[in-house]
Amino acid sequence: MRTLTDDEVRVGAVLPELAIELTPTVVVSTALATMDFTSVHHDVEGARAQGSKDIFLNILTTMGLVERYVTDWAGPEAIIRGINVKLGVPAYAGDRLAFSGAVLACEDGEFTVEVRGTVSLGDHASGTVRFALP
Amino acid sequence: MTAPAEPTGLHERLTALAERQIAAGEVLGAAAADPVNAPMIRHWTDALGDANPIYTDPEAAAAGVHGQIVAPPAMIQVWTMPGVRRDRRQAGTPVDAVLAMLDGNGYTGVVATNCEQTYHRYLRLGESPVPATRFTGLAGPKRTALGEGYFVTWNVTWYVAGEAVAEMLFRVLKFRPRERAREPRGNGAPPAREDTPATGENGAGGNGSAARRDAPATDEDVSAADGDTPARRPYPLRPAVNADTAFFWEGAAQGELRIQKCADCGELRHPPGPVCPSCRSAARTYLTASGEGEVYSYVVHHNPPVPGLGTPFVVAVVELPEGVRIVGNVVDCAPSRVGIGMPVRLTYRQMDDELILPMWAPREA
Amino acid sequence: MVSFSGSTAVAGIGATEFSKQSGRSELQLAAEAVFAALNDAGLAPSDVDGLVTYTQDANQEISVAREVGIGDLSFFSRVHYGGGAACGTVLHAAMAVATGVAETVVCYRAFNERSGRRFGQPNPGIGGEPTSHGLDLSWHLPYGLMTPAAWVAMFARRYMHVYGATSEDFGRVAVAMRRHAATNPAAWFHGRPITLEEHQASKWIAEPLHLLDCCQESDGAVALVVTSAERARDLRRSPALIVAAAQGAGAGQMTMTSYYRDDMTGLPEMGVVGGRLWRQSGLGPADMQAAILYDHFTPFVLTQLEELGFCGRGEARDYVADGGIEIDGHLPVNPHGGQLGEAYIHGMNGIAEAVRQIRGTSANQLASVRNVLVTAGTGVPTSGLVLSAD
Repeated sequence: MRTLTDDEVRVGAVLPELAIELTPTVVVSTALATMDFTSVHHDVEGARAQGSKDIFLNILTTMGLVERYVTDWAGPEAIIRGINVKLGVPAYAGDRLAFSGAVLACEDGEFTVEVRGTVSLGDHASGTVRFALP
Repeated sequence: MTAPAEPTGLHERLTALAERQIAAGEVLGAAAADPVNAPMIRHWTDALGDANPIYTDPEAAAAGVHGQIVAPPAMIQVWTMPGVRRDRRQAGTPVDAVLAMLDGNGYTGVVATNCEQTYHRYLRLGESPVPATRFTGLAGPKRTALGEGYFVTWNVTWYVAGEAVAEMLFRVLKFRPRERAREPRGNGAPPAREDTPATGENGAGGNGSAARRDAPATDEDVSAADGDTPARRPYPLRPAVNADTAFFWEGAAQGELRIQKCADCGELRHPPGPVCPSCRSAARTYLTASGEGEVYSYVVHHNPPVPGLGTPFVVAVVELPEGVRIVGNVVDCAPSRVGIGMPVRLTYRQMDDELILPMWAPREA
Repeated sequence: MVSFSGSTAVAGIGATEFSKQSGRSELQLAAEAVFAALNDAGLAPSDVDGLVTYTQDANQEISVAREVGIGDLSFFSRVHYGGGAACGTVLHAAMAVATGVAETVVCYRAFNERSGRRFGQPNPGIGGEPTSHGLDLSWHLPYGLMTPAAWVAMFARRYMHVYGATSEDFGRVAVAMRRHAATNPAAWFHGRPITLEEHQASKWIAEPLHLLDCCQESDGAVALVVTSAERARDLRRSPALIVAAAQGAGAGQMTMTSYYRDDMTGLPEMGVVGGRLWRQSGLGPADMQAAILYDHFTPFVLTQLEELGFCGRGEARDYVADGGIEIDGHLPVNPHGGQLGEAYIHGMNGIAEAVRQIRGTSANQLASVRNVLVTAGTGVPTSGLVLSAD
């Protein structure tokens, strides 16, 4: 893993896509790893009782995956400064979460990447990630 | 925004409460139960598949820009989550009372709409962040696709020894679940199910794990609902629906692609119809399609302009592995990339307050 | 069993001018065309006891009868499925004459299809009613699949994929039609031939269809007089005998969107029509000196050549190459220029051209014409005719 340099990040550059198969194991293990014990993230019956069709990804994990998507590409030394996400449709177990992104801007040494995470129902999360390179 | 003439004066009471909660300012919560620690970081990176060595590998971290292990910044909220037995964490926040008043007045639905985090610096092992929550906004009532609702916004700042290390803005829509337009009224028909009951967790310690509604495209719903005017212009290209086809459109509204299935001989059929062509049975059921498909043919529409749609757009005949074909738009893809045989995957678009259409997006091999 | 084959005939044809703005009502156009057809046959309005038109015509049969001064009517019929019914009007008229229900039947089509209701334009209202047709449309219209060009383009793309046909192959049909129209003074595109390069450069309508793959929109009217062959022989013109006429719908048929059948590369309904025409007439493709093939969109001309047996499946691209369907080719198709070149009167102008070819009076007259095949609208339930010299 190598961290990109300022010269290597061009506005308009497209990030490689990242697709994550949302197995029940992924949904449950990430919910627990983020200390979120709400039943809709680990209990299928509980989720259905609340009107969802299945368990679904929790928001703390969504934020973490958005961050991972950018650092996977930019490299381990990239300093994440902020994540702004608009939340959309649920990411259910059994679905696939596909991230795409592109470099939106570069100002005063800070880059902004536009990120979109989609599932079969549509946009799960869309927004921007700000980061700096060492 | 002026309130509708509510006999209860709910809007006035909500506004007054919101003003009091805003005036209350920042309310400190309990410090993280465990300081930033390697096991929780490793557990998190393992579950999320994050291989960044600066979080877990002491050598790599020491050689890098931080000089030591640091926590993933997006973990900030994890440190101060309340745990399984949340009642042990007594600290309330100024948000709780607002959410409770909304719940108590029929705004029982909740959908998270925005999460914005700013990281002033990365946390190091052994640090114990303390959350402080400010109630910052109540906007509404607004008409949204989910129903009439209020947007509730709060901010959390995490401090380590008085230093602000991270901030978060979190916004939810608390809505009054709508009755389905197609359901008969005035005959005791129950209102539509409460899409997602408020979990009561939203205020505690700045936790934003508001459950989301089990329906597609809330993202668009909410952005369209942000104005003061009615949520959307009606989409002009509406399907005609009757007793034979209603199941399909009801499924689409719930994020299901339903294929008619003969209840007697099991034959699948799309487009649907009242009588099974194989066995003449009028007993019908449906199966929910897997959501995979392949482009069988397609057109790129350029001219003339079509009401409600921008050109060019792609319409395809999609062949499903279940054995039927269905027509839909191919979206999230440049028209020039579409080809016969292209694998596609089901997606949905909310066209207006009422209509959700199943559509197709490229599925990478 | 009573048969109309050979015992009925088209005895008169008439038309208005073809334009983009007729400047008069559709009912007036209908009346003018009917007068012209009756005059051509040497008959008076009072001789007419039957009227047939087809759906999407704005003029009621009784309204036309009033304007023209036709008295009592013993037969009136309105054939379904728009342009697919063009030859069906002649079938219905011939059946009425052969069975004695009527003696002289006028078939007509009149509309301001360019200056009035434009069928090529999207109409969000078409799928609004929960009729069986509205429900069929509802699987397509919400996705913006709502123009005839786009409906046909969906078939064309599949056809190209399966048989390796190209946009140039479709273009050769357009070039042939415009070549014919260029020497037909009645054609809108009289004197305006096109090249294949111009076809390729024309704007996209619905890929894979270019503008020049799509027929024009026209104002105008055409009428035909159908009566018994015996009576026709005593009239002003030599008769064009109706030796075969047929309607056809295929299994799994929809209106323009039959995308759910096993195969999307054919027009099974035209196969139904072709089979009936050949059986009833005792003739075959090789016996035709010309064919009037419905050409609202070029790709379906290729498909029709295959369905009717002029060539094998997937071979139409070779059949239309090197001027194969031009007036000096192996099968002259639409010597009047078709709907791409002459006018889009929903196929009725093509029937009139078949009659002229049999009479020997066409602007682009072919040598020794005995039998002409005519087809009607494609993608919908359709119809066809074989007309022969007496």
